[in-house]
Amino acid sequence: MQREQLEFDVVFVGGGPANLAGAIHLKRLAAQAGREVEICLIEKAESIGAHSLSGAVLDLKALTELLPDYATRGCPIEETDLRDGIFYLTPRGQIRLPLTPAFMHNAGCAVISLSKFCAWLGTVAEELGVNIFPGFAGVEALYDESGRRVVGVRTGDKGIGKNGTPKSNMEPGVDLRAAVTVLGEGPKGSLMREVGKRLGLCDGKMPQTFETAVKEVIELPAANAFQDSPFTVIHTFGFPLGLDTKGGGFLYRMRENRVALGLVVGLDYENPMLEPYQEFLRFKRHPLIVGLIRGGKVLQQGAKTLAAGGWYTMPQLAMDGALVVGDSACMLNTRRLKGIHTAMKSGMLAAETALDALERADASAAVLRGYADRMAASWIRSELFAARNFGQALSRKGLGKFIAVGAQLLTGGRGLVDPMQTVDDAATLKAGQLSAPAPVADLDGKLYIDKLTGVYLSGATHEEDQPCHLLIPDPELCVTRCWQTFRSPCTRFCPGQVYEMETEGGRPRLKLNPSNCLHCKTCEIKDPYKNILWSCPEGGGGPKFTIT
Amino acid sequence: MDIVVLVKQVPDTESLVQIAGDGVSIKKEEIKWVMNPYDELAVEEALRIREAKGGSVTVVSVGPQKAQETIRTALAMGADKGLHVHDPLAEGSDALATAKLLAAAVKGLAFDLIICGQRGVDEDNYQVGAAVAEFLNIPQISLVNKAEVLDGRIRCHRVVEGGTVVVEAPLPALFTTQRGLNEPRYASLPGIMKAKKKPLEVKTVAELGLDPAAVGAAGRKVLIQALRLPPERKAVRMIRAETPAATAAELVRILHTEAKLI
Repeated sequence: MQREQLEFDVVFVGGGPANLAGAIHLKRLAAQAGREVEICLIEKAESIGAHSLSGAVLDLKALTELLPDYATRGCPIEETDLRDGIFYLTPRGQIRLPLTPAFMHNAGCAVISLSKFCAWLGTVAEELGVNIFPGFAGVEALYDESGRRVVGVRTGDKGIGKNGTPKSNMEPGVDLRAAVTVLGEGPKGSLMREVGKRLGLCDGKMPQTFETAVKEVIELPAANAFQDSPFTVIHTFGFPLGLDTKGGGFLYRMRENRVALGLVVGLDYENPMLEPYQEFLRFKRHPLIVGLIRGGKVLQQGAKTLAAGGWYTMPQLAMDGALVVGDSACMLNTRRLKGIHTAMKSGMLAAETALDALERADASAAVLRGYADRMAASWIRSELFAARNFGQALSRKGLGKFIAVGAQLLTGGRGLVDPMQTVDDAATLKAGQLSAPAPVADLDGKLYIDKLTGVYLSGATHEEDQPCHLLIPDPELCVTRCWQTFRSPCTRFCPGQVYEMETEGGRPRLKLNPSNCLHCKTCEIKDPYKNILWSCPEGGGGPKFTIT
Repeated sequence: MDIVVLVKQVPDTESLVQIAGDGVSIKKEEIKWVMNPYDELAVEEALRIREAKGGSVTVVSVGPQKAQETIRTALAMGADKGLHVHDPLAEGSDALATAKLLAAAVKGLAFDLIICGQRGVDEDNYQVGAAVAEFLNIPQISLVNKAEVLDGRIRCHRVVEGGTVVVEAPLPALFTTQRGLNEPRYASLPGIMKAKKKPLEVKTVAELGLDPAAVGAAGRKVLIQALRLPPERKAVRMIRAETPAATAAELVRILHTEAKLI
């Protein structure tokens, strides 16, 4: 097949906060140095921000370094009056934590919609002359003849039918070649999976761990209880997950009587019958939350995983010809529940390194490792190192969690054991009890909605006539061992109802609805047999988040 | 063969549409804006005719600054140049005023054929194509699902109940698109790069020589009194009973006593 080749100095793969900040920083640094730098940024979503979903409380540190005049540039900020309330939830009640730990203080931060924020960063980057291409997925890394040096990325073909044959409007992907390729695909990137394996980027590191968040933006009536609440940023733990499953809820105030409501579930949960979406509904039905969101209407819903493994799970950040940033590089600070500022900073440090490589005309790993050095000398390192065992401590069961977390608070992150081991999320399910609690009933379709209504409100659409983007290497395993041992957990952990088990002649059969996919990647992470591989569907497909 | 394509930027039909505070328009923020799907067919058809016969494809649109994205998309698909009628005075135009603006813009161009979508999927008026043809005094063929360019003529197929009507008109002419006409191509990445450098001219109402009172909100013949969303669909109620017979009985009971349909 004939493929066009386009040459750039730097190609950023993924249009999240890390790469957008990186592209902006690089363009401005290059201008200061009087250097023309051709930058390309591709994003699989139909527009920049359409696959971005986060709480989100933004620490303004990185943004202030990147664009000190962000406020006058029209940066979309939802709320700056941040008043923290942390609650331990029991099934019917709540206990407010009398003290907010220092790292959880959010005063001085801002509530944003990551989707809006990224869309805005995209316009800033475009004004600076970055070539931004939404609707183009990076599907394959390009290597030089040694097979060890990344020289760019190939975008996905478009117009391929269900059975793999080209349609009349078939448009082959193009090869984007660059001196430096920056991988910022977010958590569990499909390129990172292949590049990481080939170049051993995760060798000697602890297994990466993840959490899945289900989030909604809800519009409240003009007169609502939340506006009178003494808190604008609420975090909860305890119910409905209990103390044996990591995670917690959040409720943030946004503009125009809107709120962001979500539940984060650690994917190291053990009960195969657990369903994050149902837990989210239970959280939403808790009296504390019910009282605050009464009369509301869900405007948008979505889900996304976050890379929660932290410091010890960080892959090798540089290789010949490429760098890894943001959630792809596990830059999230689990202790502060924040990763946007660290992602942006990582992108900026990658940009500085890329410029250095361009100036020296040498983008070998030796030069690009300057990125890891810059990171180690920056505030990212001090933040992440202090939180290096925090996620692991939270993974402890029952009251042991409090001891492990408490020890960390007293020792500045070292805790009782340092390093504490992480465990691969795919390996934590325990066979045993296979009956699920009754699903939450009485959904009104307005404030309380089922999964499929949620998919509708995510705006998710895909070209229907295309090959399935979820690869199941061994479909037989699904209906035999996985069904028998775990009752097909994919049908529960997927927040988009992509996976369904049907019975056909008394035998279970897996049915896939790839069009429902919210691009959260939970399936590839949590499948106990690693029998699901997520690949990028045709560019432009997926959710169309605008306010998440 | 010089072809003009009329395009419009419309809200993505997947967008959650909300009515604005004034009650007669929609909230324009937080909506995805896309090229009207029927216009994509028009652009594709124009490109195919140009590829077969040579010539040029010019894309014309009326709309706010943002509408340039849609012109750029058409340029990225392969059109040669764009013309954007952009003027605060043109804002709020109804279908007739939009047609006046488009006709005035097209008058300044050399053209053999005009192709446009049968309707915009935002307001569903089906009027602009016909009105433009009328203003330009050229023949118009609507809802075309197959077009053949002959020597100085165009032959179009339209599906009607139970069959197909084949219509011919001398060029220059205008036709509007129907589903099935073609499968629009994707804007390729190199195409998007090239589109940035293609000429895109902007014209105001004055430059088109139109009376400002005849276009825009001032020139509206059709006034929107109110906008209302369709009634919200109630949540589906699943009937679950022990046996199929009991499920059927429960369904009959609900239809009879609650819905009072039987």
